[in-house]
Amino acid sequence: MLNKLLFKNQDKKQLVVAMIGAFLGIAFLIISIHYLIKVNQFGEGSEILGPNTVIVQKKVSNSNTLGLARTDFSKSEIEKIKAKPFIDDVKPVISNNFNVSFETADPVVPRFRSDVFIQTVDPEFLDVKIPSWEWKEGDEFVPLIMPRDFVVMLNTFMSANDIKQISDDVVMSIKCKFTLSNEDDKEWVDCRIVGFTNEVSAMLVPESFMDYGNKKYSDGSDQKITQIMIQGKEGKFGEVEQLLNNRGLESKNAQVVVGRLKSIVGTLVFIVLCISIIAVFVSGLVLIQFMQLLMTRNAIEVRTLMRIGYHPNKIIRKFFIYFIKVFGVVAIMGTIAFFITKYFLDDTFISGGIYIDTDLSLWSFMALLIAYVIFSLASYFSAKKGIFNEY
Amino acid sequence: MDITLDHIMPVPLASIEHDSDSIWGNRVTLNSGKHILLNASSGKGKTTFLTTVYGLRNDYKGEIRYGEEDIQNFNPDDWTNLRMNTISAVFQDLQLFANLTVGENLLLKNRLTDTYSEYELKSFLEELEIDHKWHQKCGLLSMGQQQRVAIVRALAQPFKWLIMDEPFSHLDIENAKRCMKLIHKRSEEQKAGFVLTTLGDSHGYNYDQELKL
Repeated sequence: MLNKLLFKNQDKKQLVVAMIGAFLGIAFLIISIHYLIKVNQFGEGSEILGPNTVIVQKKVSNSNTLGLARTDFSKSEIEKIKAKPFIDDVKPVISNNFNVSFETADPVVPRFRSDVFIQTVDPEFLDVKIPSWEWKEGDEFVPLIMPRDFVVMLNTFMSANDIKQISDDVVMSIKCKFTLSNEDDKEWVDCRIVGFTNEVSAMLVPESFMDYGNKKYSDGSDQKITQIMIQGKEGKFGEVEQLLNNRGLESKNAQVVVGRLKSIVGTLVFIVLCISIIAVFVSGLVLIQFMQLLMTRNAIEVRTLMRIGYHPNKIIRKFFIYFIKVFGVVAIMGTIAFFITKYFLDDTFISGGIYIDTDLSLWSFMALLIAYVIFSLASYFSAKKGIFNEY
Repeated sequence: MDITLDHIMPVPLASIEHDSDSIWGNRVTLNSGKHILLNASSGKGKTTFLTTVYGLRNDYKGEIRYGEEDIQNFNPDDWTNLRMNTISAVFQDLQLFANLTVGENLLLKNRLTDTYSEYELKSFLEELEIDHKWHQKCGLLSMGQQQRVAIVRALAQPFKWLIMDEPFSHLDIENAKRCMKLIHKRSEEQKAGFVLTTLGDSHGYNYDQELKL
């Protein structure tokens, strides 16, 4: 009966318009937060370096060839890059300063031997944590991350020798060894492949092994830093790329493509998110304004109810519950719209070559919950103010 | 519960000269269970009396006490409790909900305390000869019919005091008598007092006390 008295004679058009506005805002809010998170996660875990990390070197020009310009990085250059606001961290890529060769030592595959160069990257930069990627003197073998190109090359070699090609799993099980040497000394160290990378052209070894080799077999010359790792902040890849261009730095193309893609899609989704937040805020205000209008229209009824013995809190509760139900309907409709949109958008992303994670993201629903709580509080205080104005 | 008006002077009536026996500016006690007639011509403050004693306005000087308690100290919880169980009113403008039916208007009030069954409420209407209006919207009733509905609504709660502001102004003598009979019966049942404001007509009833404005 109270509902009939307070809500039956309202102008439904304004309520419907406010609900449509809130529905669109909520739907876009959930969708944009979900895809912003998924786009930011895109590429994580698929490579050993995160999608915001690039390994760069200086472009080699004729000046470098003629010895007029340097291709290595000084400490001050690294510090200057690190100081940029869109950079999270910069670390040198350490290379071997001693002779090292790699050979297979397993009856499964024919003997293959080559002089190689090895590198190590700061473990902080690794996106995929490989638990066995550690080494100390006396260990059975050195764990090693191999450029995928090497496997292709090895299989080509096998094929040319009329030997069956081998899979990644078999490659990871074969025994190999490094030969470390200088003019006076030589040492063989067993090694085993524990992972592959498309991002780095050299074999990657644990930092401790590189330190060991560089200490024991270095030829005494200064270690030059010719490559550095740059980790950009999320969504700032455009600025990182501009920095690379301005400083004449280059990186593997694949790394740049992923970063650029993420940056573009992430920026677009972020714009949609901002618009959604504004839409939710505005539609929430419209709903609250509608509540105030309803209370003004029902001022006589509200006043009379209190005069005949209804507690103000009971009437406040009526308005509050009515509007949280309205917003609840909006939230449910927005959630359904999200699932429908997700169904189609996931396909669209996959068709476009963006293999994003299709799991639900907690934060998009947390945003919905936060919006709901804020609206509920605003409704309650607005109802309280309106009712006590009539007391 | 006695109601004491201790030198009350509503601000809007302060500029008017009042008789020496007026309740305004004097100390008056409305004794528990008494039936009181408040007789005054227009503009003397009958509605002001009801709204002030009922706690709807506080623009006055002096002190109104329910028992020993100054009503200025009451909070919304106190007033809600009092208006549900202790003091009831028939307003001059009736304050019925025009879009609700007679039955809904009565049940909306009655459900606060569940004082009567729907059958009993209908029997009250029957006594006042408007029981056939149960399903009719109040906005469509005549003023006389609305006055009778407002009286039944005011009776649909426990009370110690019933304050009525010209409740029979649109009723003929017979209907006024019926209403008075019902009010008397309900007041006696509850050992409650009432105050009836009027423009001069006592409606053929013998009051315990007559007050003037």
